[in-house]
Amino acid sequence: MTNEFIALAVPALLLFSAIFILLFGLSSYYTKARGYYITLATLLVTLLISVNALSEKHSIDLLPELFNSMVVYDTFSTTFISLFLFGGFLTLAIAKSFIFNTKYFTFESFVLFLFSLFGMVMLSMSNELLTAFIALEIASMSVYILVGLNRNSLKASEAFFKYLLLGSFAASFYLLGMMLIYAQAKSTNLDVIAEYMLRTDLNSQLLIISGGLLIMITILFKIAAVPFGAWVIDVYEGASLPITAYMAGIFKIAVFAFALRLFLGSYISLSDLYAPLILGASVVTMFGGSVLAVIQTSVKKMLAASSVVHSGYILIAFAAAGSGTVSSASAILFYLFAYFISAIGAFGVLSYISRGSEKVINFDDLNGLATTNPIIAASLTVFLLSLAGFPSTIGFIGKFYIFTSAIESGYTPFAIFGAVTAFISIYYYFKIIVHMYFKDKVHEKIDYGHKLSFAFIIICSVIVLWGGVGTSLLFDIPGINELNKLSKYAIESLYLK
Amino acid sequence: MSTLSIIIFSPIIAALFLFFTRPNIAIVKIVYMVVTLSVLYLAVGLYIDFDPAKSMQFIEYHPWISEYGINYHVGVDGVSLGIVMMNAIIMPLVTLALHKLRDKNGYWINLLFVQGGIMGAVLSLDLMLFYLFWELMLLPIFFMLGLFGYGKKNYVAMKFNMYTIFGSLMMLIAILYIAVQYKEQFGTYSFDLNELKYLTLSSSESLLVFSGFMLAFAIKIPIFPFHTWLSDTYRSAPTGIVIVMSALMAKLGVYAIWRFLFTLFNETSHAVAPYFIGIGLFGLIYFGFSAMTQTHIKRMFAFSSASHLSLIVVGFFIYDVYGLIGSSYLIVAHALSSAALFLMVGIMFERTRAYRIDDLGGIARVAPKFALLFVFFSLSIVGVPLTAGFVAEVLIILGAFKYNIYIGLLTTTTILIAMLFMFKTISKVLYGELSESTKDFKDLRLHELVALVPLALLILVMGIFPNYFIKKIEPTAESYSQKIGVIYND
Repeated sequence: MTNEFIALAVPALLLFSAIFILLFGLSSYYTKARGYYITLATLLVTLLISVNALSEKHSIDLLPELFNSMVVYDTFSTTFISLFLFGGFLTLAIAKSFIFNTKYFTFESFVLFLFSLFGMVMLSMSNELLTAFIALEIASMSVYILVGLNRNSLKASEAFFKYLLLGSFAASFYLLGMMLIYAQAKSTNLDVIAEYMLRTDLNSQLLIISGGLLIMITILFKIAAVPFGAWVIDVYEGASLPITAYMAGIFKIAVFAFALRLFLGSYISLSDLYAPLILGASVVTMFGGSVLAVIQTSVKKMLAASSVVHSGYILIAFAAAGSGTVSSASAILFYLFAYFISAIGAFGVLSYISRGSEKVINFDDLNGLATTNPIIAASLTVFLLSLAGFPSTIGFIGKFYIFTSAIESGYTPFAIFGAVTAFISIYYYFKIIVHMYFKDKVHEKIDYGHKLSFAFIIICSVIVLWGGVGTSLLFDIPGINELNKLSKYAIESLYLK
Repeated sequence: MSTLSIIIFSPIIAALFLFFTRPNIAIVKIVYMVVTLSVLYLAVGLYIDFDPAKSMQFIEYHPWISEYGINYHVGVDGVSLGIVMMNAIIMPLVTLALHKLRDKNGYWINLLFVQGGIMGAVLSLDLMLFYLFWELMLLPIFFMLGLFGYGKKNYVAMKFNMYTIFGSLMMLIAILYIAVQYKEQFGTYSFDLNELKYLTLSSSESLLVFSGFMLAFAIKIPIFPFHTWLSDTYRSAPTGIVIVMSALMAKLGVYAIWRFLFTLFNETSHAVAPYFIGIGLFGLIYFGFSAMTQTHIKRMFAFSSASHLSLIVVGFFIYDVYGLIGSSYLIVAHALSSAALFLMVGIMFERTRAYRIDDLGGIARVAPKFALLFVFFSLSIVGVPLTAGFVAEVLIILGAFKYNIYIGLLTTTTILIAMLFMFKTISKVLYGELSESTKDFKDLRLHELVALVPLALLILVMGIFPNYFIKKIEPTAESYSQKIGVIYND
């Protein structure tokens, strides 16, 4: 299999499969199960193809002729593509109980799901502002509709409109920023822009600087950083649980993927200029997110708010990455992986126990889960511990990398602030554990069914634990070292020109 | 896998196994007994094989997170050997005494887990590994508090958790900070104690990092003024956890001061030692008086325990070979006596359903064996001659006199406070009129005797033949005091 084939196979397969389901869904042979398994199979196949390409480190110039180098295929994009596909696969696999119990999850939802993944894949491959914009919009549009899937729910419709309006508004900043950059650099290709910026004196790059700022606003909006993330609670709350998991876990990563390529690839010479802004954003994001998370009464909203805090952690490392250390950029990648697996697990458990109902899961609904469903409760505990950054989980290693890179870049006070935020997060994550284990049960044992969802929840929790303690010493299973090496390769491939 | 790894991981693996298979309670207790006894067997073997002439032994080393120089590095020396031993001894005895009272799987599973965590933290020579175990042993405590505690247990579990994790996170930042500094000076990351000790930090940096660590340890011990979680937690906690917290976990905090702070920041520790001696002495007095005023017997012992821990802190910060040996000895001696006393309090509660000292009385008349052992352990905890506590306290006082005659005098007099409240308690609980709750008090049963008598014997042996035990600590202490000598001569 040549690499060119791999590069094109993944997006092509996603697209074809989406179109196939679109047509198939209209025929009388379509059943939800078939649509579901076709989607799952597509994701599995594409995942295998893309993971296969991870074995070697390759550079940006693999697809020089194709599309006038608008898209590139390097280890960086392969890593992210694998993440998206893996995440998409897990989301669907865990959400099986949810999907089969809800009426509104029709064949169009699978199509949209695949389309959004296609958009993300393209986003991580795009080496061009315009391509990136289109990819981002493809992904966003699909996600907007996925948020509003449940037409009968007022909340979902409200979330849909809010997200659509604000999202489109934020996207316009991107367009304006791109325009300004184009006006000065006379290109939207990232390599060309980078070259221009190196050639030109910093003082005469005003348009590029302000263009970059505008693009940063869009990025901050998409990752729900405070103060641009005012939408996040309502939208995450309104969307159905698997979609919330998908947005919080994977869509956010896609935006970070592009942000990393943009800032490390092209804007690295301006990193000193942007660092204070990013750091400021990270502090208010961590603080605001913590406050939001502490006051929530529904578990879903709490997890949604806490996802804002995690964006804040990543932003610290983002600022640190600007000072040129590869380790902090790879720390971000590792952290993204750690976060997405824990978040998908946690949301997945919620969607598993809510069984497709629209009921808001409050803390009290989890009372005594440990006695009725000990394995599910234990898995949720693992995910929460990982989100809280407790040792022996992958989340801890992620935080460890982030804080180390922050200290290394001289941002020790920010690392301490991060630690304080992590301390606050102990409160709201452990609150769930208290409810699950220490309070009397509210209902009798429920048979949730759907072995597949159950199995994948357990698989996720095993990955979380293995990622926290794993070494390849035992049974030769890749562990922390390999993940760490992989994220490093991915970042290094950005600089291989 | 070497002995040390087996000692660390067999309880943890057994706990996981029991959690997932969920056998019935009889099997859980049998597995618990088998695992803790085999750990004890291995630990005794370790003790016998331990070569007093060398300091760090049985070292095991595997690369773990190579990129950041984090390794699985464990080893044992004279001071940690004592803690390993007492952990190994106390854990099986806890079951012996309590197995009739506790019929929940989770209780035993969590205790196994905590044993592995404590062993891991004691034996770690890598800061990250130490942090991992240090945090991990928190979880079972948290779960046991919430699952089997009394009163406002959820609130107490959360409070305890928040307190200790706050300390730990500050320690984490401190650990990361020194690792990054090491990278700047030597080019690679390292979290290994043996390598980090070559690090040079400016005095202000070193003081800050020291504080980060110290915060975590101070909360865990607890020393004044970080003790506010103490009385709530001890009152709500089930007996098993009280024993773990007072006998093992708190000692780990003191041990960590010595192992990590004295190794990494020798000069800073030396510079701030007078303050900590002051805080320690103050704590000794303060906790002593607090203990005297308590009406709840568990809280009384909690404060008395804290008071002795302050003494251990003083012993370490005296920076003297006697102080060090005395403190290490007191760690073990106090663990044995306080574990036994808390066990007896647990047994007493099971029979009388009373924790208030005023509700108790006259037990000696109906339960002579109980009374005898209770008096013995109370005396051993205040350090009456022929008990292990006496040897330890004498050594600490000797060290204190060497340090400064006034400090020596103060330490001596403060120990009297402990005597005062112990005698007061003994007279209230054991003598006097029989009360409503104690009139049907059953004397100790066989299995309880089997649990308590070995502890009593051990305390006696350690008190009468201290040389055999001190021999194992001494070389470690001396190699360490040579390091101090270097600073003194500067």
